Amino acid sequence: MTNQKTNSGGLPASFRDPSGFLFSRGGVLYRQVNRAYEGDYTRLMESGLYERLVKAGFLIPHVEANQVEAESEAAFKVIQPERVPFISYPYEWSFGQLKSAALATLTIQKRALKADMSLKDASAYNMQFVRGKAMLIDTLSFEMYQEGQPWVAYKQFCQHFLAPLALTALRDVRLSQLLRVYIDGVPLDLASELLPTKTRLNFGLLTHIHVHAGAQKKYAGEEVKSRGGTMSRQAMTGLIESLESTIQKLDWTPRGTEWGNYYDITNYSDAAFEHKKQLVGEWSARLKPALTWDLGANNGEFSRVAGANSEFVVSFDIDPAAVEQNYRQMKNDKTENLLPLLLDLTNPSPAIGWANRERDSFGGRGPADLVLALAVIHHLAISNNVPLPQLADFFAETTKWLVIEFVPKQDSQVQKLLASRKDIFPSYTREGFEAAFAERFAIREAVEIRESERVLYLMERK
Amino acid sequence: MHFAPLPYLDPGSGSFLIQLAIAALLGLGVAFRASWSKIKGWFGVKPKPTEDDDESENE
Repeated sequence: MTNQKTNSGGLPASFRDPSGFLFSRGGVLYRQVNRAYEGDYTRLMESGLYERLVKAGFLIPHVEANQVEAESEAAFKVIQPERVPFISYPYEWSFGQLKSAALATLTIQKRALKADMSLKDASAYNMQFVRGKAMLIDTLSFEMYQEGQPWVAYKQFCQHFLAPLALTALRDVRLSQLLRVYIDGVPLDLASELLPTKTRLNFGLLTHIHVHAGAQKKYAGEEVKSRGGTMSRQAMTGLIESLESTIQKLDWTPRGTEWGNYYDITNYSDAAFEHKKQLVGEWSARLKPALTWDLGANNGEFSRVAGANSEFVVSFDIDPAAVEQNYRQMKNDKTENLLPLLLDLTNPSPAIGWANRERDSFGGRGPADLVLALAVIHHLAISNNVPLPQLADFFAETTKWLVIEFVPKQDSQVQKLLASRKDIFPSYTREGFEAAFAERFAIREAVEIRESERVLYLMERK
Repeated sequence: MHFAPLPYLDPGSGSFLIQLAIAALLGLGVAFRASWSKIKGWFGVKPKPTEDDDESENE
């Protein structure tokens, strides 16, 4: 996250909630708990709810940092939460990741209710992947539950989770990108309009999206106090369980791709593939990077090789099917140091939100210690026309160490890209590539991959 | 009705009102389920453990 401080002392992503805020001091992230939140914080800690949620892997653990001076006079306490290895955003998650985050949020709400507490917000941005699990990172999201009160976060939950999950499962997976435009979740009238008509026959989607959207329009701006009614604990339970079963029934399994057989469609021989794996393994073992980014990771095969030698690997790919497969596999294997994310390298996540500082850009969350760019250069240089010197600049800003595969023009994959267009890339040769990258990197290794015309490089930023 | 203390995020009037209506309906289902399992209990049928046990781990 951007460590740029604001005038008020807090980090720019943490300003909405008067209960407290995040701040960074000496490279350590702290959360100030304000006096206004004292009662709720005490209930969270003393009711055993905190301990149960942390133990079950639903809430980020923290320690009270009594020796740390608070940022402002409003402070009741300063806490130091466990650091999230890599902050990611819902528009970078696959369907399964958003679904895991949604279901975790509902489980937290159910368990909170048993301790007479309730979530006062249900933002997808409050959920992060830590040790492979979607966890709540905002310790200040709980408030005391008063029987009769509706769930104040209901609208936010529907916008942040239910609407994008329904749209991606039932309309088109690319609609997850609406979250990049609508920072407070997909407006329900838009979701209602975009969802197929048959979703009106699904009780959960009918009520929580279609009727909900209609009610928002009808009662816009009306004062709630003027209308009667309270909500029993039983009704609250019914609401949460209904959201839960509606989401559990939503599913997305990619069509039109060789699900599970990604590497069968490459032009690689087994020997070339194994050689590449061996090199990535050897080089990452030599470097022992803290943070590795695998750019164009596909289903994460090489991320796992580098993961054996890295503290944490982020595995980016443009294909939602590949990211989904990667996520399902890591859940299955219980891998803890891997995070698959959706990313278009030719248009990476920008900084968004208030003053463009609430959610960090792709580059702002770097640099990485090691970047893998395997079988990706031809897509950037040829499909997207990025000149080689600009590619070298991009990678130099992104990482210290770079493992990059050069795929020459005579390679059949590159021939496919050039099949229906003019070859305007005279410098796209091994020599041209090395010359461009030598401006920004020292080339430490260059190994021709067996049974192929490709070359794998290990480079260090100058 | 008075909702105190006021939340720091605007829950939206329409969202609030529709939630009351939907939840009232769904709450009936929860109540029905509870009584039904009690009736079944009289006949020796053990309820299925559908409720969250408060301890199971995040997957």
